[in-house]
Amino acid sequence: MALKIMVVDDSPTVVKFVSFSLKKGGFEVVTACDGMDALEKISNLPDGIDLIITDLNMPNLDGYGLIAALRQNPRHVDTPIVILSSEDGEDDRERGMEVGANSYLVKPFKAAVLINEVGRYLKTEKVS
Amino acid sequence: MPTNQGLQTKLQKEIEELALSITEIVVKFRELHNPLRESSEKVPQATEQLDKISEQTEAATHQMLDRVEEIVQQVEESKSGLEKIRTCVKENRIDDIEGIIQDLTNKADVTCNGAYTIMDALQFQDITSQQMNHAASLLEDIENKLQSIMGVLNGRQDDKDKSSDKETGKKNRVYDPHADLFEKKTEQSVIDDLFAKKT
Repeated sequence: MALKIMVVDDSPTVVKFVSFSLKKGGFEVVTACDGMDALEKISNLPDGIDLIITDLNMPNLDGYGLIAALRQNPRHVDTPIVILSSEDGEDDRERGMEVGANSYLVKPFKAAVLINEVGRYLKTEKVS
Repeated sequence: MPTNQGLQTKLQKEIEELALSITEIVVKFRELHNPLRESSEKVPQATEQLDKISEQTEAATHQMLDRVEEIVQQVEESKSGLEKIRTCVKENRIDDIEGIIQDLTNKADVTCNGAYTIMDALQFQDITSQQMNHAASLLEDIENKLQSIMGVLNGRQDDKDKSSDKETGKKNRVYDPHADLFEKKTEQSVIDDLFAKKT
């Protein structure tokens, strides 16, 4: 069974681009348009999620709020979380790290870099 | 004909009213100062954002056109390679086919990489969308400030209130004001190091 990755971003373009890249990398992809949508969808996934890629600036619940909420849930304490944001200031990076993200990629990014980053946490035949 | 005393009283009253009017005008000018200053600062910021969108859209488009040109070239050469294979089969030159197939495989790789580069470049839509939201937000702020100025000039409190009212039905914009297609404040390797130290 393919490993499952959730992509959380309010930009349909980014969701489409990231999903395509991950599917080509051999992963199953679930998408959400903001933090609230992500929390709702994750709670409805019986098998959980293997990795989460999230944007920071989103309506309803932003990326920081999403990560903080996930880290408070024992089920997601160790789930790898990658921030994908166009914010690359020091404050954003440190805040992302403080709330519990595992890594931080700055937009725009190359698909190969994303797949490589995901491969640090998850191994599939295609990635490894 | 008014007496001197009467004239003096009338004149004093006129001067008092004039002084009161001047005071009111000064107060109104003070109220206008901040919105005018803020508006004058935001117009260049919005202009800068719009210029950036234009430049970055153009650069991304050129990048994609270059890759499309490369892909078309590879496809043309691949068609030619397939024709060569057809000829080899007809002439029973089977040993030559392996080299052509290898060449076609290389061309397929170049084509695939070109398609990925186009996909990477298409992220400009997300970045410029954030830049446009930033510019629109600045323009909306200016609009609010101008409404506030009109309120002061017309002496209408409701105009001033409207300008600060967040429930005016305007779109709630979520964007990164620093989104940029080319300029990154920090190298990815520096960010990776920071997160590596954490773990």
